[in-house]
Amino acid sequence: MKEVVFNNEALWLGNLGQFFIVLTTIACLGALWFYYKAASNSNSENLILGRRLFYTQALSVFGVFVVLFVIIFQHRYEYYYAWRHSSNALPVYYMISCFWEGQEGSFLLWMFWNAVLGLIIARNAGRWEAPVMTVIGFVQLGLSTMLLGLGQGDAGWPVHIGSSPFDLLREQRPDFLQIPVMAQVGVENYLQIFKDGNGLNQLLQNYWMVIHPPTLFLGFATAMVPFAYSIAGLWMKEDRSWINPALIWSLVCVGILGAGIIMGGFWAYESLSFGGYWAWDPVENASLMPWLIMASAAHMLLIAKGTGRHLFASHLLTQLSFWLVLYATFLTRSGILGDASVHSFTDLGLSGQLLIFLFAVLLLSFLSVLSSPKHRHIALASFAGIVILFSLFTIYSKPANAPVVATATKWTGIVLFLAVMAVFIVVLNKRTRQKAEDEKWMSRELWMFIGAMFLILSLLQVFSATSIPVFNKLFGYAKAPARAEDYNAVQLWLAMPVMLLMAIGQYFRWRDTSIAEFRKEVSIATSVALILTLVVNFSFGILAVKYLIFLFLAVLLFTANILYIRKLKKFSWLNWGGSIAHAGFGILLAGVLVSSANQKILTASQGIRFASELNSDGKADEKAIRFNRENMLFNKNVPVQLGEFEATYKGFVQGKGNDSIDKYFNVHFVRKGRSGEIQDSFTLKPKTQNNPKMGLLAEPSTRHYISRDIFTHVNFESSLEKQVPFSGFSESVVRVGETFLSGSGKIKMTLLKVDKFDSAGIMAVKLIVKAVRLKDSAILNPVFLLKSASEEVTAPPAISDNLGLVLELVNIEIPEQGEAQNNVRFMLKSGERPPQNEYIVVKAIEFPWINLVWAGTIIMVIGFAMAVVNRIAQQKALMKV
Amino acid sequence: MAGIGVGAVVSLYGNTTQYVTFPDAVKFATENPGKDYHIVCTLDKEKAIVYNPQTDPNHLEFGAIDSLGNKMTVIYGKPKPQDMERSQKLVLIGHAEGKNFRATDILSKCPSKYEDTPVENKP
Repeated sequence: MKEVVFNNEALWLGNLGQFFIVLTTIACLGALWFYYKAASNSNSENLILGRRLFYTQALSVFGVFVVLFVIIFQHRYEYYYAWRHSSNALPVYYMISCFWEGQEGSFLLWMFWNAVLGLIIARNAGRWEAPVMTVIGFVQLGLSTMLLGLGQGDAGWPVHIGSSPFDLLREQRPDFLQIPVMAQVGVENYLQIFKDGNGLNQLLQNYWMVIHPPTLFLGFATAMVPFAYSIAGLWMKEDRSWINPALIWSLVCVGILGAGIIMGGFWAYESLSFGGYWAWDPVENASLMPWLIMASAAHMLLIAKGTGRHLFASHLLTQLSFWLVLYATFLTRSGILGDASVHSFTDLGLSGQLLIFLFAVLLLSFLSVLSSPKHRHIALASFAGIVILFSLFTIYSKPANAPVVATATKWTGIVLFLAVMAVFIVVLNKRTRQKAEDEKWMSRELWMFIGAMFLILSLLQVFSATSIPVFNKLFGYAKAPARAEDYNAVQLWLAMPVMLLMAIGQYFRWRDTSIAEFRKEVSIATSVALILTLVVNFSFGILAVKYLIFLFLAVLLFTANILYIRKLKKFSWLNWGGSIAHAGFGILLAGVLVSSANQKILTASQGIRFASELNSDGKADEKAIRFNRENMLFNKNVPVQLGEFEATYKGFVQGKGNDSIDKYFNVHFVRKGRSGEIQDSFTLKPKTQNNPKMGLLAEPSTRHYISRDIFTHVNFESSLEKQVPFSGFSESVVRVGETFLSGSGKIKMTLLKVDKFDSAGIMAVKLIVKAVRLKDSAILNPVFLLKSASEEVTAPPAISDNLGLVLELVNIEIPEQGEAQNNVRFMLKSGERPPQNEYIVVKAIEFPWINLVWAGTIIMVIGFAMAVVNRIAQQKALMKV
Repeated sequence: MAGIGVGAVVSLYGNTTQYVTFPDAVKFATENPGKDYHIVCTLDKEKAIVYNPQTDPNHLEFGAIDSLGNKMTVIYGKPKPQDMERSQKLVLIGHAEGKNFRATDILSKCPSKYEDTPVENKP
């Protein structure tokens, strides 16, 4: 068979990118090896080699990044990644978002941050460089294998490792070369057909999606650093000196990951339709889990630094947090969540590899806790033996025995996992055991420890509920995924003791506290908080007792920490970090409480939802039904009362661009005073896109006030109804200013104006036609498009539902020579159907005080930044002494 | 502390719902009133989808067939998910009420044009 030479492909770009990927992997392997040698025998030559190899991999990761960006930027659709995730119409600032729509791109982003952090640490870690960078090299190596694409698209290969972003479209989708139109241009010119990409998911085309994923991945990457310090501390047998750098990085991680999570929430609130910022979706939970544990780890590290206690918990939680990062990656990228999540990540065939990576990191933790090299070698050899044995079993067993082998492998894996964890915990406990010393009831360390335990309980619930699909798969259960109510019911109560301890924890001193002083300070804080709670609740209007307790604790969290600042030394405002971060968290939680407990569904008769619409006697409960219904129908130009507003649907506007399928629905809100004067008015423009691939995508529109948001969202609109087909077609030839009639004569149309424009190789003529049917009228814009390159003509018809009219520009008759130049005639084809009321079905929600959530987050992040700067300054001061 | 943790997890597992079929849902409705169940099903193409927003924008009625072939009428108190007709699979969350199944949530899984990734709609 003759080899086909494909035209217009820039294969060198992909080859260059692939070269960088392989170079990254090799350089990681080298950096890992030489840093390991340097850490084992403190040899400076090895250290320099390791460092240079790490620099090489960092440069090469940046190289992969640049090549992939060039491919997307130049619309090189011969590459599957560019075709799948971008399109010609995509603005440059969203091109960067293509990186995180696909899995390969998000691994690349993660590696980018790891490389940046590695460069910072290699420069600043001093004597910790070799062991810490060994761990970072190991993690980076694991991630780089995810991009290798070894054996991709080739069934002959025995193992497939990774998925490369530089795979070709025609290799990934050979079926595309078989499509019928291909014969017209010839297979070698397939790129003439694939001139545009599949496009970026509409929901990701939001400015928050440009910064949320990089922040989140930076949070994931920073979680690696305290982990690396913990491993290095155990490995180098240093009890204490790893704690301060680990503490600094854990604070960085809690701040950045926290900000990343809330940014995701803000994106969901701005552009998703579920009406809120947090839905306990497994993907959200996946990033919350490492955060909860990193927050408790940071506090354990604070205790360890302050008193030398709780080394065991410091190590365990620091490591657990990074394990959870990897577990989160496995959950969201293996496709195991399937039905349970709104975020659809498909399985790229990497789930096995992700699992191996997770277990390799657990094994690294396990090896680090063993103190003698001999034990480590024995452990490593036995693991390798078991893995090889089971691989051989799996490969060489008869097909009939496959299920038995799979079950045996699964259970061996589970038992082995539990055994490794048990040994890890026992040995770690033994190694970190300290002289028994009484922990005083009034010591800060005791109460901080208890607070951290509550965070762990909170994790346990999130973990077990989110992992239901995993347990289903492992043990063959058929449990349905947990729902938001299941989480709220538990987390509400677990948050309360955490808030209380966060509020009063700082008033305890290390080791012991005078009861009289503590009592005095806490009573002041409590009294102020009680008064403040009463004051704010005038506006919040919370009535339920459990929510009132929650509100009081959030306010106490705020006031106690603000009042604590006055106890600190003057002029050392950097010391305020902890208090400010806590106070910000209090504001955030108060905002979460009031915006969810007191949200009002304006489009329902009242803002209360009943689960059942049946009375106790089994009959329909009319009241419950009315309350339950959350959507209202807005006929065009008919005002509807929504709370204190009068809302009127004024018609829709098509999105920009001639082939846009976006519709913006103008809903005008007016609030009138007693005498009918207008006090406030604004227009919201909720958007829909009836996407042929994804169904109806709706983007809410929100009016922001300081004390509340008015959120609107279109769930249905008249043009989605099944329509009677158009009939009674008739053609008319008209000039500008002329009037003509539809086939039945019921609709009178006037051609008002002609718009001509020429952009991006497309000549377009747009007519502005006014149509009148009895009392109703509408402006229609039939368009005539000519692509100058291909001379391809398209004429999308204009439709008016409320007139029941379709109008198509069939032909343009250019005046002959000698005729007047303004004598252009347009042939218009009209069709009719029964007119239909134009309406939208809307859900509108009032979120009170939702700004507290965002304000609290910003204050919290500022607090973390202050704490980090303060700790770095302390560290530097220590080094000088 | 560990006790509370284990207790919380065990109670959670006791509380989670199961994927069930329509006859189970009818049975459970009398045993555990007020509890919601998950049902994986497909659209019953023989039965018309009723959604008349002009009369009631919060009333959708359609037929569904569960994984064992049992048919039931589903009532949903929210607007019609746009891609329902095309969906390969529907996950209903709700409970049986008399002869009907009242869904509080519907997740529809659709085949996409070029890809096999499922797309979900949460109205």
